[in-house]
Amino acid sequence: MSAAARGREPLFRAEGLELRYGRAGRGRAGLASSAAGGRRQTAFAAERLEIGEGEVVALLGPNGSGKTSLLKALNGLIKPAAGRILFQGEDLHASRSLRRRSVYLHQAPYILAGSVSYNLYYGAGARGLGRSEAEAGVAEALSLLGLAGYERRGHRELSGGEAQRVALARALAAGADVLLLDEPTASADAASAALVLGALRARAAAGATIVFSSHDPALAAALATRTIVLEAGAVVADRRE
Amino acid sequence: MKEAFRLLASGDPETWGIVWRSLRFSFFSTLFALLPGIPVGVALGVREWRGRRTLVALLNAFMALPTVVIGLLVYSLISRSGPLGFLDLMYSPGGVVFGQAFLAFPVVASLTQAGLSKLDPRFRETLVTLGAGPWRRLFSTLFETRAVLVAAIVAAFGRVTGEVGVSMMLGGNIRFSTRTMTTAIALDAAKGEFERAVSLGVVLLAVAIAVNVSLHALAPREAA
Repeated sequence: MSAAARGREPLFRAEGLELRYGRAGRGRAGLASSAAGGRRQTAFAAERLEIGEGEVVALLGPNGSGKTSLLKALNGLIKPAAGRILFQGEDLHASRSLRRRSVYLHQAPYILAGSVSYNLYYGAGARGLGRSEAEAGVAEALSLLGLAGYERRGHRELSGGEAQRVALARALAAGADVLLLDEPTASADAASAALVLGALRARAAAGATIVFSSHDPALAAALATRTIVLEAGAVVADRRE
Repeated sequence: MKEAFRLLASGDPETWGIVWRSLRFSFFSTLFALLPGIPVGVALGVREWRGRRTLVALLNAFMALPTVVIGLLVYSLISRSGPLGFLDLMYSPGGVVFGQAFLAFPVVASLTQAGLSKLDPRFRETLVTLGAGPWRRLFSTLFETRAVLVAAIVAAFGRVTGEVGVSMMLGGNIRFSTRTMTTAIALDAAKGEFERAVSLGVVLLAVAIAVNVSLHALAPREAA
């Protein structure tokens, strides 16, 4: 695909998409591809869904409405049971730039066993960033999320809110400009939530694409330029601010 | 009892020679068990595939086998008429180490598998989403579960240090060559010479305590 054609493509385009829950005990994400077989419930389905470059999208909906499934599928962590997702016009699972550009954050993020610093440099190392680029990215992420002075703190010494900030900082330090966030302020106290919101606003202003799920309409109103409401695995409303 | 401690305190060369030889055999057999044991444990622990559960059950069964049965199995391999007879390992230190490595392998593989299978599913997704390739994921997984791996190594070392069947069957309890703490205890006790048997028993007890203390020290880190 030419650069010009790619420029006209939305960042994500899902066609005939169907995501299914895995059988209990099958699949590491609790979700499975069609290859796993068995009777599985649809987690999310949409005939067509597009997300453009630079959009800040809030996914709202009750538990079980398919928010997490959609976010994981957009990051290639689960394969659709049917249909496909394109990233910049390419099949998402074959796309090289997806891993360079995007990061998915769990609702309760996993912090790797080690220091905050180890966690922040991990993504930068995995993505092959140069030393100076990695150092600059880590310093900026630490500052954005109010984590200066936390570098040596161990993964066991973090509260839920701090862990969420460290995980977001890790994503930012890895150079991700497509952030797929599962309830990014779920375990955060007011102070941590404000820091997360500030960091996301700064990234959005710099042109990052952010798709986040939330139960909090106030967070959606404060950050999102588009709100998609899900219910029972289907899009029931899609509005741009 | 007093005589047993005197034997140890006086630095009796034969007694300490046996201790040193035992620990050396255990070290090398554990090392040789790690080379296939950790990769097999990783292959069985990181994802679900057909036949995995059967292999795990088989490994667990081998872990519980009496050492003489393992000794018999390895005997059939390395005896003169066995497929590995040309290596001339029978009644040699190499034979004991080979047999003990057989004994340690299922311990290492099974405990590694058990530890890795308990890894939080979010861990793998985190590595993938951060862009880690397969090799980086493998090394990160080993690093993340280092406490489990150390525990597997310590447990395997404990298992081979305390075994008697393999050493006796494959080593023949030859003085200054293949005699280990356990075979020496068996022989001395049979002869009614309890001083050295007790002194070696004390060393074995110390090793067993050290192994268990290490395992307990590692357990909370592993569980977290």
